[in-house]
Amino acid sequence: MNFTAKGKAALGILAAIAACGVAAWIYQLTGGLSVTGMSNGVSWGLYIACFMFLVGLSAGGLIVASSASIFHVRQYKQVALPAIIVSTVCITMAAMFVCIDLGGVQRVLNLLLSPNFTSPLMWDVCVISIYLILNIIYLVFMKKYGVDSHQVSIVSRFALPTAILVHSVTAWIFGLEIAKEGWNSAIMAPLFVVSAMDSGLGLLLIVLAALKKAKMFTVGRDLMANLAGLMCTCVAIDGFMVFCEVLTEAYNGTAMGSAIIGDMLFGATAPFFWTEIVLGVLVPFCILVFAKNRKREGLVVFASACVVTGVFCKRVWLLFTSFLNFNVAGAPGVSIGNANVVYADGGMWMTIGSYLPTWTELVIVAGMFALGALAIMAMSKLLLGKPDVASASVPDGAAAQGA
Amino acid sequence: MTKLALAIDTERCTGCQTCSIGCKTSNKIPMNMYWSRTITQGCDYEDAAEGVYPNLTKTFISMSCQHCTNAPCQRVCPVGATYRDDKGRIEIDYDKCIGCRICMAACPYNARCFNWNDPVYDPDPIYGDVDVKPRTKGVVEKCTLCREATDRGELPMCVRVCPSHARVWGDLDDPNSEISQLAREARAVHLMEEDGTEPQVFYLM
Repeated sequence: MNFTAKGKAALGILAAIAACGVAAWIYQLTGGLSVTGMSNGVSWGLYIACFMFLVGLSAGGLIVASSASIFHVRQYKQVALPAIIVSTVCITMAAMFVCIDLGGVQRVLNLLLSPNFTSPLMWDVCVISIYLILNIIYLVFMKKYGVDSHQVSIVSRFALPTAILVHSVTAWIFGLEIAKEGWNSAIMAPLFVVSAMDSGLGLLLIVLAALKKAKMFTVGRDLMANLAGLMCTCVAIDGFMVFCEVLTEAYNGTAMGSAIIGDMLFGATAPFFWTEIVLGVLVPFCILVFAKNRKREGLVVFASACVVTGVFCKRVWLLFTSFLNFNVAGAPGVSIGNANVVYADGGMWMTIGSYLPTWTELVIVAGMFALGALAIMAMSKLLLGKPDVASASVPDGAAAQGA
Repeated sequence: MTKLALAIDTERCTGCQTCSIGCKTSNKIPMNMYWSRTITQGCDYEDAAEGVYPNLTKTFISMSCQHCTNAPCQRVCPVGATYRDDKGRIEIDYDKCIGCRICMAACPYNARCFNWNDPVYDPDPIYGDVDVKPRTKGVVEKCTLCREATDRGELPMCVRVCPSHARVWGDLDDPNSEISQLAREARAVHLMEEDGTEPQVFYLM
C-alpha cells in the first residue's frame, strides 16, 4: 500500500521536525544542559515530565493487550497488535528522554559498572529494560504464532505485571523523595498506574481511529465504544485519586502543604492543574459516561485527546509544584547555577523555584514526538499489513489455538 | 570511627557571607553557584527581619551540605557516585556521576549544585586549594567538608575564615571533642528535623 500525497506530506513534515530535534540535541550535547531552562532550583524540567508521560502512555497500551490474553477478553485481542506497537514506541521514547536529560550521558555505562540498587532510578532502569524486551518478544510472538497462541498468552502473563510495575517504579522516583512534600505520598504509584491506563487507552483509541482512516486496520464501533467505556472508568478513578491527594495535602493546613496547594490551585501551576481537572477528567467523563456518545467515533477521539492532554498537564503540575518552594526558605535563596537562566532580579539567586523551557528543549521534545509518530507509522505499516489480514487474525472461536 | 561534623552558632553568625566566599575560592566553585550560602531565614531580602515591628527577629542560617547520617541523596544515586567516606562525610565521585540529578531532587536542603555547562571562572586562571580537583560539565557537586584541606590537617575554609568564630568543626564520635560537647547542648538543633535525615551539621539556636 502506498501513501497518498497527503500522507507523504505528513511524513515529510514529521521527518523534518525529527531532524530539527536531533540537531537541537547535538547542540545541547556540545553546550551542556545550560541550554535548557533548568537550574539548581528546578533541577528537572520538560524532559522528565515527558518521560513520566510516555512511560504512562506505554504502560496503558500493554495493560489492555495483555489483559486480553490473560483474562480471555476476546474482543480486546483484536487491538493487541496496535496496542503493543504504541507501547514499544512510547517506552523507547521514554528511555530516550532520560538519556537526553542526563548531564553525563557519556558515563551512562556506570549504570552497569557500579549499580546502586537502593536507587529507584536504578530500579527503573532495570524494569524499563525488561519491559522493552518483553514488548519486543510480545511483538515477535504475535507475528510468528498469532494472537491466540500459547506463546503469546505466556508472555502476556509476564507483561501485565511488568507494565504495572514500570509505571509504579516511575512513580516511586518521585513518591519516595522525603525532600518534596508534594511527591512524598503512597498514592503516587496507584495514581500513576491509573493515569497510565486512561492516557494509554486514549492514545490507543486515537491511533486506532487514525489507522482506520488510513485504511490500514479495521476496528469495529462496538470495540471502540467498549475501550472508551474502560477509559471513562479509569478517568473517574484518576479524578478520585487526585482528590484524595489534594484533600490530604490541604486538610491540616501545614506550611508546606498550604504552599503547595496554593501554587497548585491558584498559583504558578494552577493552569495545568485546572486543565487536567476540566479537560482531562470532567469533559471526557461527561462525554463518555453516556453509552450513546461512546458509539460516536468523533466524540470518542475528542475525549481521548482531552484525556491525553489532561494527563500531560498532570505530569507538569505534579513535577513542578514541588520544586517551587524551598524547604529552608530565605534570601538570597538557591544559587541558580545555569548562567543562561535569568530570574526576576537578573541575579544568580532564586528564592522561589522558577522554570521556563527554552527553545532548545521545545525543539528536542517536538523532534522526539515526531520521531515517535514516524515510528508508530512505520511499525504499523510493517506489522499490521492489509486490513483484511488484521481482521482475519481475530478468529471467532477456538480455531486459532496453535495457529 | 570518625564522624566529621560542623556546628554553626546562629547567635554568633552575622550573615557576612565570608564563609560562602572562602568556600567558593578554596573549592574552585565556578560562577553562578555556591556550596555554602547564608540565608536570612524566612525573608525575601537579605539582612531583612521577620515579624511585625517592634517584635522583630533576624536569624541567619548558613546552608551547605548537612552530611546527613541518613542521607537521602546517597540512597537514590543510581551509580553510587554519592557515598559516605571513612570519616563519615558524604562525598561525590565525579567520575561516576552520570548527571541524572535525582540527588538534587532528593536533598531536602537544596545543598547540591549542578555543572550545567563547563565551569566558568572569573577571574581566570583558577584560584583555590591546590588539591581540589576542578569539575566538568554534567556532574553534581556540593560541600565536601573541605576533605582535601582537612585530610592535610587544616581546618575547613569556612571555619578558618569566619570572623565571628561561629563555626566549629570536629569529630562527633569523639565524646570529648568541642563539637560533641556543643552537640549535647540544649540549643543544638537540626534543620528539617522532622525528615529524619539526622544531619551531622547542626545549629546552635
